[in-house]
Amino acid sequence: MAPFRTIRWMVWKDLVIELRSRETIASMVFFALIVILIFSFSFSMDQQAAHDVLAGMIWVAFAFTGMIGLGRSFSAELQNDCLEALQMAPVSRGALYLGKVAANFAFMFVVELLLFPMFVILFNVDIVEDLSLLLVVFFLATAGLAAVGTLFSALTVHIRAREVMLPILLLPMVVPVMIAAVEATKGALNGDPVSFYRPWLELLAIFDVVFTIVSFWMFDFVMDA
Amino acid sequence: MTIHRVIRHVQRYQGWVGGGAGLCLAVGLYLGLLGSPPDYYQGEVVRIMYIHVPLAHTALLGYTVLAGGSVWYLWKRDPIVDNMCHAVAALSACFTALALLTGMIWGKPTWDTWWTWDARLTSFTVLLLILLGYLMVRTMVDDLEKEARYGAVLAILGFVDLPIIHFSVEWWRTLHQPQSISLRGVSIASGLLAPLVVMSIGMSLLFSYMLMIRTQLLYLNRLLDAKKGRLLHQFHVSKADS
Repeated sequence: MAPFRTIRWMVWKDLVIELRSRETIASMVFFALIVILIFSFSFSMDQQAAHDVLAGMIWVAFAFTGMIGLGRSFSAELQNDCLEALQMAPVSRGALYLGKVAANFAFMFVVELLLFPMFVILFNVDIVEDLSLLLVVFFLATAGLAAVGTLFSALTVHIRAREVMLPILLLPMVVPVMIAAVEATKGALNGDPVSFYRPWLELLAIFDVVFTIVSFWMFDFVMDA
Repeated sequence: MTIHRVIRHVQRYQGWVGGGAGLCLAVGLYLGLLGSPPDYYQGEVVRIMYIHVPLAHTALLGYTVLAGGSVWYLWKRDPIVDNMCHAVAALSACFTALALLTGMIWGKPTWDTWWTWDARLTSFTVLLLILLGYLMVRTMVDDLEKEARYGAVLAILGFVDLPIIHFSVEWWRTLHQPQSISLRGVSIASGLLAPLVVMSIGMSLLFSYMLMIRTQLLYLNRLLDAKKGRLLHQFHVSKADS
C-alpha cells in the first residue's frame, strides 16, 4: 500500500534525523526542566498544594515543550529546500501529513514519559500505583495536539514570525484538549474511578478524530506551493 | 480590468441596508431604553442586554459567514470572496470584543464582578483569540493568494473547533444565565423581547452594511495595487527600451 509506505518513510526519516542530531527531544526536555524550575520557585508549595496543581503544571509544561517540537517539525525542512522536495514528491499529501503527525506524536509522547517522573519526584507528590489510565490520557491529548499542531506547523513555516505565530494560533485551538487533559489527568492521578472523568476522555477522542480528518483534508491547501 | 459585478450589486443596495440598520437601531434603542419596562430582578440594568445580546449574536453570525466564505474560497478561488472573508473577520473581532466589553459592564452590577471564567465568557474569549490570530496571519504572508488560502484554512479549523470549545468549557464550569431565546422556546417577557429582536435585526443589518463597505474597500485597494504594479512595470519596460 503506497500511502502506508509513505507514512512509514516519513516517520523513519524524522526518527533517523532525530537519532543522529538529537536536537528536538533534547531541547524539549531541557526546556521542560527549566519550566519545572520556574514552577518550583513561582509557587512555594507543600505536598498537598503540589498535588492539587500537579495536573495543571504538567499540561502547561507539555503544551509549551510540544510547541518546540512542532515548530521544528517543519522549519527543519527549510534547510536544503527539503520542504520543496516534499511539496514536489509524487506521493499523497495526506500520507505526508499522517507521517508527520506520527513523528511529532512520537517525539512529544517520549518527552512526556521522560518528564512525568521528574514532576512526581521533584514536587514530591504521592500518586497512585496504577498509571495505565494516565497513559491513555497522555496518548489521547498528545494525539490531539499533534493533529492540529502538525497542520499549523506546516502553515506557519511559510509566514513571517513563524516561531511566534505557531503558539499564538495553536493554543486557542487546543483549549478543549487542555481542559480535558487537565481534568482527566487530575482524575487519573487521584485514582478516581474512570466513570468520573470518562466524558473528558470521550471529548479528547472526539477532538482527535475530528481534527485528524479536517487537518488531513486541509493539509493539501497548506502544502500547495 | 472591470469592477467585479458583485461590487456593482453591493453599490446598488448598500444604501438600503444601511438605512434599514439605522431605522431598526433607532426603533430598537427607543423601545429598549424608553418603551420597555425595567426587569423585575435586575431593574434598569437589564437594558444593556439590548446591546450585548445582539452584538454577541451578530459576532457568531459573522463567524458562520466567515467559515462559509472560506470553504467557498477554497472551492472557487474567487478573490472577492477572500476580500469578504477578510472584512468579516475584522468586523467579527470588533463585535466579539464589544460583546465581551458590554458583558463585563453588565456583569459588574449583576454578578458583582467584572470578569469570571464562566463558560460563555471563556468561549467568547477563545473565539476572539482565534479571530485575532487569523487577522495576524493575514498581515504576515507576502503572497496574496497564499494569504487568502492560509486564512481560509484557519477559519475553517476554528469554525470546526467552536462547538467543541463551547462544550468543553460548558462542562468545565457554568455560571452564565441560560440563553433566553433558543429553539425550544422563549423564556423572556414579551415587553423585553420586542426591542431585543429589533436590535438583533438592526445589528445584523449594521454588520452587513459595514461588511459591504469594507469588502469594497479591500477589493478596490487590491485593484489599485494591481494597477500600480502594472504602471510601474510599464515604466520600467519603457525606460529599458529608451
